[in-house]
Amino acid sequence: MTVQWWCSARGIPWRWHWQAYPGVWIMVFALAATYARWTRPLTAESSHGERASQGKRIGGWVGVLLVWASLDWPGGPLGTGYLASVHAAQFLILGMIAPPLLLRGLAPERVAAMMHRGGVASRVITFVTQPLLAMIAFTVVMLATHAPGAVDVLMRSQAGAFLLDMAWFVSGLVFWWPVVIDFPLRERFGPPMRILYLFAGTQAHLYLSMWLLLAEFPAYGIYELAPRVTGLSAMEDQQVAGGLLLLVGGTYVLGVISVLFFRWFAEPQAE
Amino acid sequence: MKHSFRYGARAGLALAAAVILAGCGISAESGGRAYRGVMLGRAMPRPDFTLTDTHGQPFDFRAKTDDTVTLLLFGYLNCPDVCPVHLTNIARVMQGLPYSVTGHVRVVFITTDPARDTPEKLDKWLTGFDPSFIGLRGTPDEVKSVEAAVNVAPASPGIPDSSGAYEVGHAAQVIAFTRDDSAHVVYPFGTRQADWAHDLPLLVQVK
Repeated sequence: MTVQWWCSARGIPWRWHWQAYPGVWIMVFALAATYARWTRPLTAESSHGERASQGKRIGGWVGVLLVWASLDWPGGPLGTGYLASVHAAQFLILGMIAPPLLLRGLAPERVAAMMHRGGVASRVITFVTQPLLAMIAFTVVMLATHAPGAVDVLMRSQAGAFLLDMAWFVSGLVFWWPVVIDFPLRERFGPPMRILYLFAGTQAHLYLSMWLLLAEFPAYGIYELAPRVTGLSAMEDQQVAGGLLLLVGGTYVLGVISVLFFRWFAEPQAE
Repeated sequence: MKHSFRYGARAGLALAAAVILAGCGISAESGGRAYRGVMLGRAMPRPDFTLTDTHGQPFDFRAKTDDTVTLLLFGYLNCPDVCPVHLTNIARVMQGLPYSVTGHVRVVFITTDPARDTPEKLDKWLTGFDPSFIGLRGTPDEVKSVEAAVNVAPASPGIPDSSGAYEVGHAAQVIAFTRDDSAHVVYPFGTRQADWAHDLPLLVQVK
């Protein structure tokens, strides 16, 4: 049995034989440990209300499980070297779905304490989560990591595939932070601005999904030349990838925007 | 087992094979035409051989593919990667090209595993890609002599596993004979649909 630290495209026929990816386990364990710590109240005396609600904390654990499922066997290697549709699902999980679930589960008291402490982490987070910067960074990362040249090169090595996965996850956390977390306080970034931010920040997905759906030929050599896993041709698989980004990604963002809108609508308005 | 090589090794092999075939460096242009395949240093004449088609009839390669662009490749039905990828890509591109191009193109697949690739199985398999694809069979010695005629390495069956299954190492490139009865360019594994769509109309123009 060959052990790889991280999934990469190997160009060999797919087999349904379990394979270990210790790098994925370490990363997921570190994520779970960090998340568990950050969901706890700051001190034992803290009141129950200073934690996120149980639903939000469970949502965060679902986010951890989704990250694990997307990176470990079989999802990880399938998305890295065989199926563009699984690759698209990985992107949706790592960049769009898991980050807000995780951020919502953090204990607000603990986040507030860290941000008020003014340490390096606080300064870095304050800087990178400026909405305009976060939106641009997320869009640039998404476009750059879906460029055929980048995908075909990065996916062939474990380090490259790791870089791509982490770029999605970290840029996803950065992008969703201003929507989910209220620290640092940005008074002008209220619900209408958050709605606009989400809409603008996910426009590139629309174009990417349309490009995948309407392309004349397969965009990525990795998936076009990979031994087939399903009955789908490379072109059909690519169209499924585009459809996933458009339907699942689009519906998800629209759902979040709707929630933000109705919450804002239900807020008591100042006289 | 030639099919399980990593991309790097496979690309290296394909490149090495192409360079050996070429006898010199790689160029991408011939007669003002820029191909995306690998140019041969010396044109290779269309070989003269006769094998058996999937209907059990003798197939005189030179006569039956005369005045056509003939894409010749070797492989076998159980091939897990190279053969289905090449055939899928060619078939899909041909579906999108006008008849003025595809009417002049023949795809000829010579099995390197005649023991398992019965005429019926081979016919059904190739028809799944494109009904116009031609499958040929011969004895191992006959196939070897064709491989030698087109300067590719002879196929080599692997060692059977416990279930009796085995893989067959074979040349991974597609040799394109043009209507001037010569091959000027070959297409190693890694040739993409966009490359075929670019090159097939150019190849048809060579007379």
